[in-house]
Amino acid sequence: MKKLLILTVVLFVSVLVNAQILKAELTATGLTCSMCSKATYKQLISIEAIEKVEPDLNNTAFLLYFKNGSAVNIGDVKKKVEDAGFSVGELVVVFNFKDQQAANNSSFTLDNNTYTFMDTKAGTLTGEVKVKILDKGFIVDKEYKQIAKTSKQYPSYATINKNTYHIKVL
Amino acid sequence: MNKIFLFISLFIYSSTFSQELFVFTEPASNMPSRSLGFRDMNGFFLEKDGKLNYHNMPEIMMGINKKFMLHAQAFISNRQDGGFETEGGSLYAKYRFFSEDAKQSHFRMALFARASKNGADIHQDEIELQGHNSGYEAGFIATQLLHKVAINSTISYERALDNKPNYKFPPTQSNSAMNYTLSVGKLMLPKIYTSYNQTNVNLMFELIGQRLNGNQKSFLDMGPSIQFIVNSQARFDIGYRRQLYSNMERTAQNGMVFKFEYLFFNVFK
Repeated sequence: MKKLLILTVVLFVSVLVNAQILKAELTATGLTCSMCSKATYKQLISIEAIEKVEPDLNNTAFLLYFKNGSAVNIGDVKKKVEDAGFSVGELVVVFNFKDQQAANNSSFTLDNNTYTFMDTKAGTLTGEVKVKILDKGFIVDKEYKQIAKTSKQYPSYATINKNTYHIKVL
Repeated sequence: MNKIFLFISLFIYSSTFSQELFVFTEPASNMPSRSLGFRDMNGFFLEKDGKLNYHNMPEIMMGINKKFMLHAQAFISNRQDGGFETEGGSLYAKYRFFSEDAKQSHFRMALFARASKNGADIHQDEIELQGHNSGYEAGFIATQLLHKVAINSTISYERALDNKPNYKFPPTQSNSAMNYTLSVGKLMLPKIYTSYNQTNVNLMFELIGQRLNGNQKSFLDMGPSIQFIVNSQARFDIGYRRQLYSNMERTAQNGMVFKFEYLFFNVFK
């Protein structure tokens, strides 16, 4: 009976998880030189879920490849960039969706993180989809303040919760 | 030599200035969290009597977290009659309390403090906690990075104590001072990045000043320097320091500085 219950739960969960994070495009702010970029690179590569980091020195950007099947916490990316002494200017995450329903204010959970859609056309998402993280610390301050001012229809946006992210499909 | 110096000076003056890993001053930015750095400063300064002073200052630097870093430094020199001698050491702490980042730019502010111990004789009006005086210092740093140019300014209060056990601070001299610096630097090479292995070249120009609180005596030095960053991890600086103006007693104010620094990332958990 217990086994059956576990199996049911596992099946149910596997149906729920119809998304996976493949890659992320990070633009770091606050730096120019290659020593600063390397410091950031070294921090990023120390993240367990990261397989490979490709730096773009001229744009202070990094392409992050995640290990297949590993739990990705994008909060780690922000923390590591800040540990290097800099900030996240933009983080675009590439999801692999399987019939994921998208609508403003609707959410899905992946690896204990909740993602809420904002400013996104309602529809079904399938395949590789780029989304931009809109939360504080994942975009430049000026942009955050602007979004915060004009996002009253997204009640969860104003409250900063760990493991809760707001995403816009690009 | 003079021609080379003139050329370097003109080069610096004709360009806008460099990055912020300055040779004679510290920026408000910190080293990465959990990293460990080694630095060795070699200073050659000519004394008035013609003797060449050599100061060696090995230093260990630790990035405790993103806001706080610590340095520990030793002072070795040939100034004493007995040849090379470890004259003392120093602890330095820096706390970055403000940071605003934008695309290829930042503005940062930090507070710092230094405590030094030195057993050498006290032979000049100038108070210098790196290699000459025992004492303490506390100050404020602001740094602005704008793409390839960095501007840095420091202001600090410095208090000299007796150089125990043998040398009392002379009661006729001022035992406290205000220090101020203004530094500019520019990333000259490479023009376009292709990898972390490219050697970066920075040019810097710094002004270093001190005013003694007790008798209003002051000096102002300039410090042009060139810096090479190898493999985005090792740093080699060549700096020249020259007095522009002074009405205080200083024994060896002009000289060359060679600095080597290496950074180890993610050393601590």
